[in-house]
Amino acid sequence: MQMKQKISVRQICFIMFAYTAASKLVSYPNGLSLQSGRDLLFPALFSFIVQGIIIWAVSFLCSRTDKTFFELLENTFGEVTARIIFGLFAVFFVLCTIIPLFEQKLYVHAIFYDTIPALDVFIPFFFFSVYACCKGFLNIGRCADVCFPLFIVSMVFILAMSVPEADFSAFLPVFKTSFKDIAGGAVSNVFRFYEPCWLLMFMGRFKYKRGDAAKITLSYAGGALFVLLTVAVFYGIYGDLAQARQFPISKISLYFPAIETVGRIDLIALYVLEVVMLFALVLNIQMTAYCVRKCTGYKNTAVISVVLNAGLMVFIIFFDNKISALHMLWSSWMGIAFIVFANVLPVLAWALRRKDNAV
Amino acid sequence: MLFKKRYSVIIYWLIIVFLLVMYFTNDFGLVDLNKTAVVVAVGVDTEDEEIIVTAQIAVPQPSQSGDNIRYTEVQGRGLSIADCLNEINSKTGFYPKLVYCKLVLIGEECQDEELFRVLGCFYRRNYSELTALVAMCKGKAMDMLAMPATISPENSTAMHRALSDELKKSANVSSVTLKDIAVSNFSVSRACYMPFIEANVEGTSEGGGNGDNVGGESGGQSGGGGSSGGGSGSSSGGQQSGGESGGQSGQSGGGGSQGGEGGQQMEFTARKTAVFNDGKFAGILDEGQSFALNVFRNEIRLAVLPCNTEEAHYTVGLKNTNSGIKLKFVDGAPELTMSFKARAQVQGIKKVLDPEEVRLDDVVEPEVLEAAKKVLEERFGELIKHCADNDCDVLGIRELLHKYNYKYYEAYKDKILSEMKINYKVEIQSIN
Repeated sequence: MQMKQKISVRQICFIMFAYTAASKLVSYPNGLSLQSGRDLLFPALFSFIVQGIIIWAVSFLCSRTDKTFFELLENTFGEVTARIIFGLFAVFFVLCTIIPLFEQKLYVHAIFYDTIPALDVFIPFFFFSVYACCKGFLNIGRCADVCFPLFIVSMVFILAMSVPEADFSAFLPVFKTSFKDIAGGAVSNVFRFYEPCWLLMFMGRFKYKRGDAAKITLSYAGGALFVLLTVAVFYGIYGDLAQARQFPISKISLYFPAIETVGRIDLIALYVLEVVMLFALVLNIQMTAYCVRKCTGYKNTAVISVVLNAGLMVFIIFFDNKISALHMLWSSWMGIAFIVFANVLPVLAWALRRKDNAV
Repeated sequence: MLFKKRYSVIIYWLIIVFLLVMYFTNDFGLVDLNKTAVVVAVGVDTEDEEIIVTAQIAVPQPSQSGDNIRYTEVQGRGLSIADCLNEINSKTGFYPKLVYCKLVLIGEECQDEELFRVLGCFYRRNYSELTALVAMCKGKAMDMLAMPATISPENSTAMHRALSDELKKSANVSSVTLKDIAVSNFSVSRACYMPFIEANVEGTSEGGGNGDNVGGESGGQSGGGGSSGGGSGSSSGGQQSGGESGGQSGQSGGGGSQGGEGGQQMEFTARKTAVFNDGKFAGILDEGQSFALNVFRNEIRLAVLPCNTEEAHYTVGLKNTNSGIKLKFVDGAPELTMSFKARAQVQGIKKVLDPEEVRLDDVVEPEVLEAAKKVLEERFGELIKHCADNDCDVLGIRELLHKYNYKYYEAYKDKILSEMKINYKVEIQSIN
């Protein structure tokens, strides 16, 4: 059998833990509080539970086969169909990238800069992204090894400064928000959940051992716990004002008493966390590059990477002032694509033919 | 080939490091501190439909000595605070983001306006982090900011000290931030409060208050430079909403430390509390009512309480305090329990000192404890009366109704303050 193992289970666990959380700290709590008010934890919990089950299902599937997702598709539908499906996944990963890319641009500009135009600040990101996309799964795994401790240290630092300032009675009374609004919180933010697709791409690239599915799922749960805690602290501090405060992760530690004396020491942790956020963001672009390569069969990753990032950069420039419209689209109709690709297709992967075709 | 591969990795890493440095370097040093005007406090006044913002600005000065910051006031006018800041920006040549603004002072005239119409801009994105303390002042904020202070050349620092965390923990001031008032106002209570700052002539104190009177000769308007004095300037914004950057010639500054009538230095106190109901001014709590409010809204470390027994006047220190309010329904009727526990210690007695008695300060006589309890209950009662009379829920009773007694919320949300029965559960024990 061809040697495909390029990423370890530990690294996948780190990705599921750190990248899952880091990708949901910039605007997710805002969106939830806007939609679901004080019951915002319930749609978040529901989304994470659903995704956790799917992640367990995909992880467990890895125990039944050594094949990659592409090989499974090829084995079941033939090469052409497998390429088409990977083409669709490439488009899907672009969809996963767009809103977080805009949010990250606005976040970096608002938190770290003063008067420099946001676009100028963010364009260098694509140089980093071009480099990252040229690299394979081995590189993705190593980056996760670096990012995980950074994530833990920075989040513990930020939460330690924030938790004492939160009033958790702000969540009372529970379940008094209408069901429509609670469900709306889950549905309108469905575009922020795509982790099972990462796992599909990792299939066949790590050696599954007994209990790995549980490890991966628990890692995802760990990341979810950090997000839920951040959401809870954010709402506990700002109450009904939460929906009006942008970029929650940078706002929750502001009321730590020592900040008045020593200044914004929380910015150190935010800088560190930003590194993890960038790697989490670039992972979707890396996945797009991988899918494009599998779809087209074109081996020169550098060309794919440059073209892909140039396209994203043009998109960012062209739609620079259309973020609200894009956000509305993503939180409404575009959600269907996320339900199909990140919820339905990963489960359907169980139906793919795992045994080799008879020669 | 190996050579090429090794170099390509190094080049890649150099590019990454360079980009990260670019990415994380804040403004690339474009802000020269010596040319920066940092807004440390803003005063907000209203005049007809217009808002007048007076920004106290710290201007770093090149200096060999230690004191190298000059403070000055710059004023802007407009229909919104953003208009005013735009004008201030054009006068200072610096884009004021208010990141370093530690105090928002609201003039007494703003009582006629809706609070969040006046302050709305602070809550817009990126203007402010909502960590600035907010207070209402007697008279005009522009005058107050122009008064020279006793304890600091920068009077916003003096005011900041009057709102300090230490004072807050002694129940002497109801310090709040921009965030606090918004969270409170947009909750179901629809009410908020902020300290009421008064200026007093240095070294004076009003008589007859047992330490509760906030000061002596009123600073009021007389101490300030005002728009006619040497303090703050005024502009000609008019209806042009800050579009005009001129104002009267040479009035874009004035030097706060030199302001004030005759250079009379002032002391600032904030023992009273301005309260707002649904964003509208609803009165001022006196020192006793403010004390009661602070006891329940803040974490208290040491509160000082004057009380009288038949024997003498005592000043009691209250430590290890534990307070809270609970709302419950008994037979369908609302009952509010205001509980307060503390350990008492004698801090002062109005009689000739007997050294032998000093060692007994930690053993407080029951009649003194009873007198202290009575004073506290009176203060709590006065606060509740003020809340009920003005329908101003600064204690957050509607929130208690909404959070813990939701089934009664619709029935009682409009009348809870006037219909609830009050129970006091005050326990003061001697510290020893």
